[in-house]
Amino acid sequence: MQFEVLATCHTTKARVSRMTLAHGVTALPTFMPVATQAAIKGLTPQQVEALGITLILNNTYHLNLRPGTDILQEAGGAHKFQGWKHNLLTDSGGFQLVSLSKFTKITEEGALFSSPFSGEPTMLTPEESMSIQHAIGADIMMQLDDVVSSLMTGPRVAEAMARSVRWLDRCIEYHEKSGRKDVQNLFAIVQGGLDPELRDQCLDEMIKRKDRVAGYAIGGLSGGEAKDTFWRIVKQCADKLPADRPRYCMGVGFAEDLLVCAALGVDMADCVFPTRTARFGVALTFQGPMNLKLSKYATDLTPIDENCPCPTCKGATTRAMLHHIVTLETVAAHAVTMHNLTFQAQVMGGARDAIMQGTFPAYLRRFFDDYFGDAGYPEWCVNALRSVGVDLLEGKDDAKVVQGDGARWEYSITNKRK
Amino acid sequence: MSTLSFLVSSSPSSTSRTGTLRLTRSDGTSLSLNTPGLVTATSRGVVPHLSPDLCAQTAAVRWVHTSFESFLDHNPTVPTLFQGKNALACFLGHSPSTILSLSLRDPGDVRLMPPNGDAHVSAVCVRGVRKVTPASWRSYVQSCDPDITFALTDVPFTAPPYSQKRLIKSVERSLAWLADVLRSDFTNTDHARPSNIFVHMAGGTEPAARAAFSEGLVTALYDKEAEAVKPLKTLDEGVAGYTFDLAPLRVTLGDRLLHHSKIAAALVPETIETADLTEHTDNLIELMNANLKPLPRDKPRLVNSCTGPHEILKMVKGVGVDLFDAAWAQRAADIGIALDFQFPVPERLRNSAEQGDSPTGKWNIGYNLYDQAYAHDFHSLLCDDTLICPCIACTAAPSSLCLQHSIIDSPRVITSASPFTRAYLHHLLHTHEMSSHALLTAHNLSVLDAFFGGIRKVLGRDGGNKVLVEEVRVFCDVYDASSALFDQALRCWAQVELARGKGRLAREKVIDST
Repeated sequence: MQFEVLATCHTTKARVSRMTLAHGVTALPTFMPVATQAAIKGLTPQQVEALGITLILNNTYHLNLRPGTDILQEAGGAHKFQGWKHNLLTDSGGFQLVSLSKFTKITEEGALFSSPFSGEPTMLTPEESMSIQHAIGADIMMQLDDVVSSLMTGPRVAEAMARSVRWLDRCIEYHEKSGRKDVQNLFAIVQGGLDPELRDQCLDEMIKRKDRVAGYAIGGLSGGEAKDTFWRIVKQCADKLPADRPRYCMGVGFAEDLLVCAALGVDMADCVFPTRTARFGVALTFQGPMNLKLSKYATDLTPIDENCPCPTCKGATTRAMLHHIVTLETVAAHAVTMHNLTFQAQVMGGARDAIMQGTFPAYLRRFFDDYFGDAGYPEWCVNALRSVGVDLLEGKDDAKVVQGDGARWEYSITNKRK
Repeated sequence: MSTLSFLVSSSPSSTSRTGTLRLTRSDGTSLSLNTPGLVTATSRGVVPHLSPDLCAQTAAVRWVHTSFESFLDHNPTVPTLFQGKNALACFLGHSPSTILSLSLRDPGDVRLMPPNGDAHVSAVCVRGVRKVTPASWRSYVQSCDPDITFALTDVPFTAPPYSQKRLIKSVERSLAWLADVLRSDFTNTDHARPSNIFVHMAGGTEPAARAAFSEGLVTALYDKEAEAVKPLKTLDEGVAGYTFDLAPLRVTLGDRLLHHSKIAAALVPETIETADLTEHTDNLIELMNANLKPLPRDKPRLVNSCTGPHEILKMVKGVGVDLFDAAWAQRAADIGIALDFQFPVPERLRNSAEQGDSPTGKWNIGYNLYDQAYAHDFHSLLCDDTLICPCIACTAAPSSLCLQHSIIDSPRVITSASPFTRAYLHHLLHTHEMSSHALLTAHNLSVLDAFFGGIRKVLGRDGGNKVLVEEVRVFCDVYDASSALFDQALRCWAQVELARGKGRLAREKVIDST
């Protein structure tokens, strides 16, 4: 991997960089759409490529179950299997073990779970996770980590953090011996729950291994914790992580979260949100999410966003037409998915340009004004951005601020906004 | 006002024929289409699974047929709010280079319905049944401005059998409604007669009733009736083409094909009795010919809801049908079938009787990609690698520029993908990924399009009609005409749908609690 920081924001911690991997260049910061089972839901790889997307994510847990590593190896890796010519990242499978499997038991050896097909006890060790990810052939692989719910407290959090460090060592060992180090890159995942002390210990240990890992992820977040805690942990990690390694915040996909994370110094993020919400009929716009199922869109003959370059908006598909087919025809899911992925890419592309041109604070202010101006600024976003020198409320004495998680994304809020 | 011309090229003595359909729109655009050819079916106005960008990349999509009834849930109907030329095509997002035809009802929908009346057709939308009068149909069509309009027709969708009285009524109403859409006695130009009217051949399964309907079309009109449609002397003079909706006829004849219309996964039985896809074909041909006998030969004939290539060939040969809807091939894509057949039968399959992959020893007209046999199959979809299928699953899309989101994004052109493999599609089907159906729809339409190209080529030769008869015989000898492939695929589809589709969590809860 080549990782080159091209510009840093004069005010915030945001930066623009160029990451060169075996399947091309990806400009950071970026959002990575999730192709859980080797397909972005409903789209062909060429459609995804046409949207200007250069890095997507596959899930190791799912690909290991289906099609399985033997078929992936026969196909010559996941890139060839799914016809995707650009960069690919795989997670380690650890998160799905915890979120999907009912009977997972974590031991020092690995994660013991019952196979969803046969019910047989199956062990996922760090070595096994590496070996599956080698078969997939992703450009970026994630270490197997010991994932606990971000709401968990007590000694289990410390245990999980310490074990994640030990498992990182086993992943590094296995990966280095595989001879694939020049084509596949291993990322470490910082754990430690919501405890700044544990996070610090984990960061120290993992940074010691910097020469043997290509990048760092911030894990164990986006699991229902308070947003005010979320941003503080992200900031703590991003501040401490080395500048010459990409930083990936896992499971983040709301536009406001993406921009706060970018301002705190995060380079990459992934989430199923934009593609999943598209299937439920919600289109993302710079004025906030738009629930196309609402009857007020039944006669609305304008596109989702007239300025959007996606095929759906460029093709002048109206909100009324989408309302007519949404959740009833797969074509609606495809159309809104293409739009939402383009929206995410536009938000991040706009951030890259603003950082390059030294106008990122203004970009943030404009985005939050458009997106939250009417409904109210989430307090946590205001606080998070103040911590890096941007005051969203500057010159807006009468601005409305929403307490708590504020931005918690709701259909009803968005309805009022349009 | 657009115009439609149809040039038939065949000797008057032969039934089968080739032709060229040319549509000239009021803005001067001219589209042409060679026949025999296909018409792409839609659902709620869109080609199922193909977003407009993929439709544009699928050359086989030259004519889309859509039904209006799904828009009746909103008053006023939304497409009529979209003013302007080709309003409906613009609203639905179909390319200006495709021909758009419009009927009130979905020609493939054979669900039981409340009866029609003397002055209304019962149509269905998500909010229930709506009555549509000839006057409202005329106004919908005026606003929608489709290239081709299907006149209202009275097909009974109450439970068969139908009395003679009902059939007479059906013929009379259908003629009256056609006369209504052809009316010229409006002073208001907004009510000008819609261009390019196609009429459904009414009369049910009674040849005499069908003949009577056609007689009604060509009989000279008098008095008030003539006055209403002047300068037309007969109704047929105002008709641009004939359509045959086979689905309701098949129901009356006792059709058993399960895969043909959408069916809930839970309702698919464990075992499906294999049927012959051409079981009713000869019967239907007789009925169609009863209609066509008194009618002029120079108008295009369109068939909706055919069962597959065998029936198409028999109807090209025995009736001289020019256009067939592709609903069956699109339905095959819904249930995981990649079509693979050719006309004329390729050399390697001739004299290969008994070696085929179907239970009868003949060759299947496609693959059920749910089958485990394809899990490790890294071939492209067509069996014969030397053939080039132009679909998005087999051949790369024409290169175009990708979007750029920032100044430092390197500009790039979409790279050509190698063909998608059967193994990948097998994986997508089993993981319930929607992309599988998009790729299969594009592929199946392309295979069907090439098949029609083959028919036209054979008919274009010297003595083409004789060659066609012989080639149809070979085709029927080599390719299996049973429903076995569709039945297997439907079973597999239902299994995956129940395991992974909508309502999965609720079903698992029930299983867990027992």
